[in-house]
Amino acid sequence: MRIARLGAAGLRFGLRRARLSVAAVSCALLLGCGSPPLTNADGLLVLTDETPTGLDYDGPSAAIPQSQTGIVNLMEPLIDYAPGAVNDSGVRIPDFTRFEGRLAERWDFDAARGVLRLHLRRDAVSCAGNPLTAADVVYTFARAKSVSGAAPIGWFLANAGGVADFDGDVFTDPAARTLGDEVRAIDRHTVEIRQGQPNPLLLPVLTTFGLLIFDSVEMRARATEDDPWSHDYANNAAPPSFGPYCVERWVRSSELVLRANPHYYRGAAPIARIVIKRVPQSANRYMIMRMRQAHVAERLTPREVAAIEDVDGLAVRSVQGNESLFLHMNFATPPFDDPLVRRAIAAAIPTRQIIRNGYFGAAVPWTGVAPSSYPGAASGAVTTDDPARAAALLAQAGYPGGRGLERYPDAFRLAYVAEREAVLGPIAASLQTALRRLGVPATLDPIPSAQFGDRQLVKKDLPFALNDQEKPVVVDAGYAAQLFFVSASAGGVNNMVNYANPALDALWARARGETDRVRRTALIQDIQRLASADVAWAPIVEYRTHWVGDAQVQGWSWRPDNALRFYDLRFAP
Amino acid sequence: MIARLVLRRIAIGAMQMAALAALVFFVIRLMPADPAARFVGLGASPEAYAAARATLGLDKPLLAQFADFLGFGAARGLIDGDLGRSWVSGESVAREIAAALPITLELVACGVALAVLAAFPIALLSARRPGGGADRAVLIYGLFAGSQPEFVWALGLVFVFFAQLGLAPGPLGRLSPFAEPPEPVTGFMTIDTLLAGRFEAFSDAVAHLALPAATLAIVLSGPIIKMLRDSLGRALKSDHVLFARASGLSENRVSAIALKSALAPTLALIGILFGFMLGGAVLVESVFALGGLGQYAVRSVLAFDYPAIQGVVLTIAAVSLLVYLITDAAQALIDPRVAT
Repeated sequence: MRIARLGAAGLRFGLRRARLSVAAVSCALLLGCGSPPLTNADGLLVLTDETPTGLDYDGPSAAIPQSQTGIVNLMEPLIDYAPGAVNDSGVRIPDFTRFEGRLAERWDFDAARGVLRLHLRRDAVSCAGNPLTAADVVYTFARAKSVSGAAPIGWFLANAGGVADFDGDVFTDPAARTLGDEVRAIDRHTVEIRQGQPNPLLLPVLTTFGLLIFDSVEMRARATEDDPWSHDYANNAAPPSFGPYCVERWVRSSELVLRANPHYYRGAAPIARIVIKRVPQSANRYMIMRMRQAHVAERLTPREVAAIEDVDGLAVRSVQGNESLFLHMNFATPPFDDPLVRRAIAAAIPTRQIIRNGYFGAAVPWTGVAPSSYPGAASGAVTTDDPARAAALLAQAGYPGGRGLERYPDAFRLAYVAEREAVLGPIAASLQTALRRLGVPATLDPIPSAQFGDRQLVKKDLPFALNDQEKPVVVDAGYAAQLFFVSASAGGVNNMVNYANPALDALWARARGETDRVRRTALIQDIQRLASADVAWAPIVEYRTHWVGDAQVQGWSWRPDNALRFYDLRFAP
Repeated sequence: MIARLVLRRIAIGAMQMAALAALVFFVIRLMPADPAARFVGLGASPEAYAAARATLGLDKPLLAQFADFLGFGAARGLIDGDLGRSWVSGESVAREIAAALPITLELVACGVALAVLAAFPIALLSARRPGGGADRAVLIYGLFAGSQPEFVWALGLVFVFFAQLGLAPGPLGRLSPFAEPPEPVTGFMTIDTLLAGRFEAFSDAVAHLALPAATLAIVLSGPIIKMLRDSLGRALKSDHVLFARASGLSENRVSAIALKSALAPTLALIGILFGFMLGGAVLVESVFALGGLGQYAVRSVLAFDYPAIQGVVLTIAAVSLLVYLITDAAQALIDPRVAT
């Protein structure tokens, strides 16, 4: 009898569940469910075009901006730039003239010995619950010097900051990959970093994503015989650190869910949970924002941003940061070895039209060769928007009306990153039209970003290209100059247009070791003027970095890596 | 007889997979770029570049790389069932494919199932009265549905049902963003939510699958209806069906007999469409942010991620061969002449 009753109860339960499921399926199939209204209680929903591909800054995907977003919200720097003013769009900009402590609460620099002494906080605790010690800093630099990851970003930045013995020997001599006393623990909470030669970039590089501090206890616990520096764990699970957030869930190509680090030394984050959701189509991110089904959307096209400006309850946040567009002309490819041709092409650039039709007004003309927001940036003298001058210069170069340029059809294949078609396609078309009016046989050549990177950075054989991806991560015009314009033989890094000017190299040799700020700035500005006079790049515009956010979201801030800092955000009460 | 067919197909499939493995390995290395560049974007010194090439194994001779890929080098390889590690993410390719494949299989299976469910009654209605109003409407629908790219349907459905009517959830993946996904068992969200006894999440998963599956169903139903309608038309005129009708069987019974005859070629088409959609559903996956195999394939190709490309090609080939095998076996069951 009891069994029968139990059976009947079970049957009723099963039928109820079945009815529920049938109802659920019917509801869904009839599309009657829709989306529940978005609430702030669940956390912050961020829509982006790609979620982090990896989370190790020495890993294979550290150069991908979305990976950097994950890294900078999980890890913590020794020092950072102090907050500066809030711009007219409600975004706080760092004050690049002042540093403030993060994991290092204070520091002093012994100029005679070239030693930076850092005094670490005693209250910083990692997501794993381990307190910060000097061993964590030493481990971080030792790992960088091991160049054991897929990309030696940590080593590169330490090298750029002039840390002693972080030189190219690490790639040829395994013994050089072991950390010596150039970074050493003095006591449990004091560390010294020694420079090989004077270099003013040491503090700036410590603010970047490539030298954030690992929790060495957790990293060592995750090490294996094959992977002693725990690249696999840091890249594919989470980089253990002392940052404001910890990884709650991460599904590649789908979502990254962050949970506030309860031990964070600046206090737990105001928004406890962040869901970064991948929505590849910018049109869908735009539509979801308009339907108020998300709090923040990144990387909308300029047209979509312009269309959302007047939507009630949404706010466009933007900053004139370090994103720019320039025209790449390779000195190694004729006729771009002719300065007159370079100036003619630059003069033909329809900058005003590009600002109006490509960026919908959210850009300003750029004449320099380093981001104008960076200390030491100088404006240049490249002329654009002047077709008459362009025609005259072409004639002077021996190509009146473009006649003779047909000998170089491959040189005028205007390459750009195909994945950026929505933004760069219309701009490339405007430029092509302007050039063709002058008789320049320009054609369009959108290519995948990996191919673009290979030809630009490694083969350096890209003749003619539109580039909007170069953002020097270290905030310094000198660093930008070293990165792009100094010859390889003089310490240049990725001089992708094969530009060589001995006078500029000589200026760099003087500037790199100059510790007097005023004298160094003057030298760096001379470098920029030289590069500008030679049209090393043809600068076009500096465009605004945008986010679209729910009006309730406040506390926006910008950093040179263009990654949002979720710790700064909060919901309006 | 069917067992022999299956064994023969498995043997041929194994040879095809071996040839494909070699082909894809060498063909992708003809692509006009060097994947090492992407790694060293920030510090592209010659030393760093050389280090990246060594890390990827690209500094070795091509045949040595091939031996490594197959598993004859120091590390595990294809013969050990190891597809290597993605150069983009550093994660195991097999693990990444295992996460992406069920999403695509679930989408394609639901899309094909909806298309077939819609196709059978429509094709029957059309074939019973050739040249009638229903037949003409089906012809127009078949031409129209099949001629529109799937992303047009996808964006249109999102615009109407999400943005205008507010009936469907936003194109935000397989579940609502703040929903807790179930512990993966099969990787199929609908099945895993049911296995976890989470009916609310199941409803959410079905709601998020409805528009993408409907998109595929609209696109796929065109050719399926056309094939089924033509086959049915021929079957309804065949001798054995005429005999069945002359014997006084009911129209439904006659239709059932004709349908059995028309099923074999339609099954073959469904198998081909299923295999094609494993990689071809990429645009639907992209619009609905599903993160399936198609999107993984595109990402891998754009990044010149050789291990991931190899893994995707071999996986799609293996699943396609399996689907073809199943449809061939089903055809053989319906019509034993196929197995000979």
